[in-house]
Amino acid sequence: MPVAVKKSIPHFFMIVYVVVILVPFLFVLFSSLKANNTEIALHPFGLPKTWVFENYKEAWVKAKISVYFFNSLYLAASAAIVGVLMAAATAFAMARMKLTRISKWIYQLVLVGMLIPGNVLFIAQYFLVRDLHILDTHWALFLPYTAGALPFSVLLLVAFMHNIPHELEEAATIDGMGAIRMFWKIILPLTIPALVTVFIVNFLGNWNEYLLANFFISRDALRTLPTGMVGFRDAFQTNYALVCTGIVFSVLPVLLLYSFLQRQIIEGLTAGSVKG
Amino acid sequence: MKTTLKNPYVYMLFVVPTVAMYFLFFIYPTITSFVFGFTDWDGLNARQFIGLDNFVNAFKDAEFRSSIWNNLIILLFSCCIQVPLIIVFSLLISNIKRFQGFYKTTVFMPSILSTSIIGILWGYIYDPDVGLLNNFLSLFGIDPIYWLAEPKWAMFSILLTNAWQWMGFYIVLILAAILGIPKEIDVAAMVDGATGVQRAWYLTVPLIRPIVNVVIMLSIAGALRVVDIVLVMTGGGPAGSTEVMASYMVNKAIKYGDYGYGSALSIIIFVIALILTALYQLLIARRQERIEF
Repeated sequence: MPVAVKKSIPHFFMIVYVVVILVPFLFVLFSSLKANNTEIALHPFGLPKTWVFENYKEAWVKAKISVYFFNSLYLAASAAIVGVLMAAATAFAMARMKLTRISKWIYQLVLVGMLIPGNVLFIAQYFLVRDLHILDTHWALFLPYTAGALPFSVLLLVAFMHNIPHELEEAATIDGMGAIRMFWKIILPLTIPALVTVFIVNFLGNWNEYLLANFFISRDALRTLPTGMVGFRDAFQTNYALVCTGIVFSVLPVLLLYSFLQRQIIEGLTAGSVKG
Repeated sequence: MKTTLKNPYVYMLFVVPTVAMYFLFFIYPTITSFVFGFTDWDGLNARQFIGLDNFVNAFKDAEFRSSIWNNLIILLFSCCIQVPLIIVFSLLISNIKRFQGFYKTTVFMPSILSTSIIGILWGYIYDPDVGLLNNFLSLFGIDPIYWLAEPKWAMFSILLTNAWQWMGFYIVLILAAILGIPKEIDVAAMVDGATGVQRAWYLTVPLIRPIVNVVIMLSIAGALRVVDIVLVMTGGGPAGSTEVMASYMVNKAIKYGDYGYGSALSIIIFVIALILTALYQLLIARRQERIEF
């Protein structure tokens, strides 16, 4: 076999794979810009005859995608930020402070938490949230999202903070710096790469979460994108173009984030799964 | 000098909020799950302790048994069909120099998206009239297939979508391991005249066994965790043909208010996951060295 042919065989299979991944997205993108169902059915692969951007306006304003979008955005971001800060403080105490005995206990405890699959706690968490009287408010998602991310975040940040040299803190202690300022001024800035990774993983997890969002929230105005989109699909079942527009709205932010931070996202998600 | 980092109040301040959240949302629900599981609670009337009745009923429940079966199908599909394909694709990408990054980024992409959005997206691809798949098949003269409405196709459709979403994730995981193998081994074999396929099969595959084991373990856990995609695409139908354990549990609890029974089912799911993982570790991964991450 000539070398050129031999070299192109892997490329051939990979291109087929890539096409299978990308075609559904292109189909949705093109469909979202088409005028009606007939055009989608007759020319599924073709470019739209006329580019209909009204779908985007209609989905965003009339169909309340904007509401779902901002709910998702602020819930995912706030829960991720709070989770990262809490985890960082705990990781600092466990990795840098000299109360090692109790830290080891907490570490084991957190490790056990990683073994419990999320679905298993669904019913019990439903009643917990109900008993806290936060069912059907955003707290019902904010608190479980924040708590759910803690075990993974703490483990990852502890591992990272262990590797920071101790000389800095020793110098800081001599200068009379307290533990809290040491955390805030020295360790936290040095941990930023790991914090970014943890934040992204948590943000994506929250942004995509479906099960809790579906059953803990019933008011339409409070819904997030994954559940709002399912309701949207059921309501506009026959308007393919409009639903495809909704899909574009929900997928685009994640893909944008991915295009800038692919290395951190891939590293964070794979590290998270292997550790779990 | 060392007292600063021994300050127990600061330690408490930093640790207590996390530990409190952790107890409230992990430990406490775990305990209540077990308590609920032994009661006949319907959310309204007082809980009554009924011993093992829920668990006995679960194994008599034909619908739950068929949902266990469906999880098993997903598990076998991911371990016996997806994993070999994942290994082949990782080997292919690892041998490519140009566009390696592009392939890696693209195949990974679906795994960062919401499963529910992917369910909606694929719902359109499977649409009998305007869907991409039937359109494509009609080029070969195949009549429209009702992918999600026919019991014999519905499970296959879910499996396909699930594979589409997650295979890239595992490919990237294995690819990292392959690229971590020292180049000298491969070069030495090449000098000895081993072909590409021989090197892949006799050198690379044995060397990545530990990470393949991790992927299989993750696939087992993932197969038992499948729920979003079923709820969004088929709701367990048609005629229960795609119902999985988790979706059945959620439906029993939320739709019918059988919280006691639902909790018992969630305990069963947890125990099955534990048993399968332990079995795999004991029977297959036993002889291999443990790897530390």
